[in-house]
Amino acid sequence: MNLTGMRHYSDDEVVDVVVVGTGAGGAPLTATLAARGLSVVALEAGPNFDPVDYTGDETEAVEINWMSERISGGADPTAFGQNNSGRGVGGSMLHWGAFAPRPGEADIRLKRDSGLGEDWDVDYEELKGYLGQVEHFIGVSGPSDYPWDPGRSYRYPAPRRNASSDMMIRGCQAVGITATDAPAALVTHDHHQEEFGLRHACANCGNCHQGCRNSSKAGTDNTYLPLAVKAGAEIRAESMVHGIELDARGRVSAVVYRKDGVDRRQRCAQLVLSAGGVETPRLLLHTGIANSSGQVGRNFMVHGATQVWGRFDTDMRGHRGYPSSIISEDMMRPNDADFAGGYLIQSLGVMPLTYATTLTRGAGLWGQALVDAMDDYRYMAGVGINGECLPADRNRLELSDELDEFGIPKAVISFTAGPNEKALDKHATERMSAIVEAAGGKDLQVLARTAHTVGTARMGADRERNVVDPDGRSHDVPNLWISDNSTFASSLIANPAITIMAMSLRTADRMLAA
Amino acid sequence: MTSFIPENPVPIEARPTVFCLHALGSSAREFDGIAARLADDVDVVGLDLPGFGDLSAADGVTVDEMVAYVVRRIRSHGATRWMILGHSMGGKIASIVASRVLSGDAPLFGLAGVVLLAGSPPVPEPMDEERREQMLAWTDEGGLDDDAAREFVDANTGSPLPDDELRAALTDLRRTSREAWRAWLQRGSREDWSEQVGTLDVPVLIVSGGADGDLGPENQQRLNGAVYTRPRFLTLDGAGHLLPLERTDEVAEAIRAFWFGEAGRSPVIPTDWSRLVASPRVQPRTRGILARRALADNPRYKPRVLSARHIITLRAVAARVVPQQGVPIDLATRIDGELADGKGDGWRSKELPSDIEAYLIALDALDGLENLADAEQDDVLASLAADDGPGLGSMTQAAANAWFEDVRAALVRTWLAHPATMARIGFDGFANGSSGRDLFGYQLLAAGEREAWEPTLKESK
Ligand SMILES: Cc1cc2nc3c(=O)[nH]c(=O)nc-3n(C[C@H](O)[C@H](O)[C@H](O)COP(=O)(O)OP(=O)(O)OC[C@H]3O[C@@H](n4cnc5c(N)ncnc54)[C@H](O)[C@@H]3O)c2cc1C
Ligand code: SF4
Repeated sequence: MNLTGMRHYSDDEVVDVVVVGTGAGGAPLTATLAARGLSVVALEAGPNFDPVDYTGDETEAVEINWMSERISGGADPTAFGQNNSGRGVGGSMLHWGAFAPRPGEADIRLKRDSGLGEDWDVDYEELKGYLGQVEHFIGVSGPSDYPWDPGRSYRYPAPRRNASSDMMIRGCQAVGITATDAPAALVTHDHHQEEFGLRHACANCGNCHQGCRNSSKAGTDNTYLPLAVKAGAEIRAESMVHGIELDARGRVSAVVYRKDGVDRRQRCAQLVLSAGGVETPRLLLHTGIANSSGQVGRNFMVHGATQVWGRFDTDMRGHRGYPSSIISEDMMRPNDADFAGGYLIQSLGVMPLTYATTLTRGAGLWGQALVDAMDDYRYMAGVGINGECLPADRNRLELSDELDEFGIPKAVISFTAGPNEKALDKHATERMSAIVEAAGGKDLQVLARTAHTVGTARMGADRERNVVDPDGRSHDVPNLWISDNSTFASSLIANPAITIMAMSLRTADRMLAA
Repeated sequence: MTSFIPENPVPIEARPTVFCLHALGSSAREFDGIAARLADDVDVVGLDLPGFGDLSAADGVTVDEMVAYVVRRIRSHGATRWMILGHSMGGKIASIVASRVLSGDAPLFGLAGVVLLAGSPPVPEPMDEERREQMLAWTDEGGLDDDAAREFVDANTGSPLPDDELRAALTDLRRTSREAWRAWLQRGSREDWSEQVGTLDVPVLIVSGGADGDLGPENQQRLNGAVYTRPRFLTLDGAGHLLPLERTDEVAEAIRAFWFGEAGRSPVIPTDWSRLVASPRVQPRTRGILARRALADNPRYKPRVLSARHIITLRAVAARVVPQQGVPIDLATRIDGELADGKGDGWRSKELPSDIEAYLIALDALDGLENLADAEQDDVLASLAADDGPGLGSMTQAAANAWFEDVRAALVRTWLAHPATMARIGFDGFANGSSGRDLFGYQLLAAGEREAWEPTLKESK
């Protein structure tokens, strides 16, 4: 993004707030605090990109992903790298899929309704207000009539349907499931974004996961961050935070970060960690801070993201168009469920390398079968889910004894699906198979997959069981806050990004009120 | 040196074009002999540069203008599998054109190799200043006269040229435009293009005459050898500077061997797909990525983290995991390069040691795989994916599962990243444009719809 004219602060100056990370959790808060006159420095480990330079080439596009090695354990190890994390000014929203469903009230009251999982210590109406602000400001396009929430409206018409969208609509109709155009955080009309400039209408290029070269897709780099810079915040790229210093009273006094190979110290009055569900707990465990509850790194959750693909008689060529333009919320809480929670169904577009990786990792294909499956790539279309995941003690993030290039121990993340995840996955696989088959798909291929990294620094009033309080403030260190997907008490079935952004605005307001 | 899967001959439909750029004072005609000798295997297209041969100087005589002219000519020719050859002055232009193709900046695709004949390097050409002054003095009044032309040929040949060659060379010298002659001596030869050119990974054949002066074997090693990462050098003993005329047979034979032995050893990308990559529908950066990836693998590749034996074993694994027909992409050496560059996929299973260590252990344990019958190789690999088993070397069975999963993903991704594979599976998503109004995307999104610009696909599946 364009950083010309940005204000700079010196390391010695005690700035009001340092924010670590510029993704969904860091950016809205940075903009809000700066707009209220606070001096804010956002430290970002990754580089600052110019979107026009992104390449759609899947191999090279990993430059916008967090590729530093993480170690995966458990019976269902999570794939990291390209699968779930970004690095750069803009965070994971540089390469996110922009699928932007809203969590419903039931979504944050899982325990109340099912007795399982956790509830959020958050007022739903309040959250909804922030969600509306986010959607309007970043430009979410969606249907004019949302079947599961009458009266909801979106700023621009929904993205265009592609072959897998038509397939999913057809299949859902045949099996009696409601499906419609999905809310997508992109602009379907040319849009003038405050302090950023022109965001072109989506060109249906299909490269969302490789970075949108037209800023049609919302990121923080084309929404909240330009606003933050205008209001006087500094975004310091290529600055990897690896230390946190406390004063004699146990309050944060500075962060230590490495830029251009040199360790530097930025002094600050308040610190916000927005480094994401893996890096935030890793930093806390590494520095030994804010963990009197012993809960840092616990309750790691991933969304079930199983896909079902079918082969069709005509060319589907799912690399065309916005990848996930159809949604169904019918399985939010299925009547016949033998599990807590539920799942969203979406249509799938996919790039060949990503698809092949899932084929070989998720379905174990190799040899001629793998080559044949890729020869069929153009005939394939599929649907996938975003499914509830319950917090569990066995699923956690810990430090290994191997160090990364910054001298921080690498993260070891263990994940094993429990009975609830398995029952949900079975239910979803049956429903998805029925949809794809009803739409004319043959030779179904079920690809196991998980997505997103949530939990690990849970928000809640009980300081024994949670890392931050319901405002996002550390139970232990009064001037330390966390604003990112690590604070999620339950996984939600709505994909996380706009909720993270809404919570970021909320935390900013709580900081201002404190 | 490992022999690179020699049982797969370069297919005939892969017949290349070689665009030839001549020396100072010469013309496209200097390649007639080579063209005749290569007629069965290669289309030789000599180009007159502006101000030489039949061409007026109007298109511009600076290096930059000559480069632009050559790019336009190759583009209008339409070749999609080609090499570029530069003799002396033409060598500098050839290297610059090659660099623009490999960066994607030129609207071209399909460069497979470079041939330099006593080529001028991208850095200022080493040239005795007295000689430069003398050559400039020949044109103080007008073009070169017959005496000057004869003196030039004498100074640049190792032994006398046959009569007809000599006559033609003299004619070319005398019809050279004064403007072009002086532009090269005063400016072009002195320009330093090394930063723009950088280093080039393209197969290159660097030929020099043992009796040549400033552009002889030593300076070729030192100057052009520094530009190209995988040069093949050939010195023709006793030859002077005018190699295409002096040693026509040997030069032609060397080009043929270079094509069949190295530059041509890559999967064939269909013509309409190659034209698409060259078109404005592809962002220059992406075009460059595809251009570099399409280059033939280096038959003399020196493994960087694996051993030569490991490479053989990994090739055997690759051949079973991703069977390829025709000239295969050498997935094994490409993966070795990625491992050496530390390009992992951002995570690894807790069961496994570091990426490189896991490859070393696994490939040691699989040593000799290539000697088994195909079905037996498959059995060995299938056992790596099984729940129960003895593990692999010092690794547990769970680690063997994880490593085999990793290597499968790496192999299939490397295979798919090649533009020939993209064409094979019908993926033209790289051609969705650049940015702004030039981000074309797709207009037709429904099943069975294709846009007019899209290459044809085989209907069968
Ligand atoms: C492929 C993919 C597709 C997705 N699709 C969707 C979707 O369609 N819908 C949806 O809602 N969500 C989607 N997501 C998820 C969504 O993008 C993330 O949940 C969200 O961006 C997380 O926000 P965050 O602020 O917690 O972390 P991030 O956005 O990841 O930001 C963290 C930032 O902190 C930086 N950082 C980390 N450590 C340090 C450090 N020590 N010092 C300095 N900086 C540091 C990182 O470089 C990064 O920029 C997708 C994610 C992926 C990977
Ligand atoms: S499909 Fe639309 S939003 Fe996605 S990258 Fe292309 S232009 Fe951007």
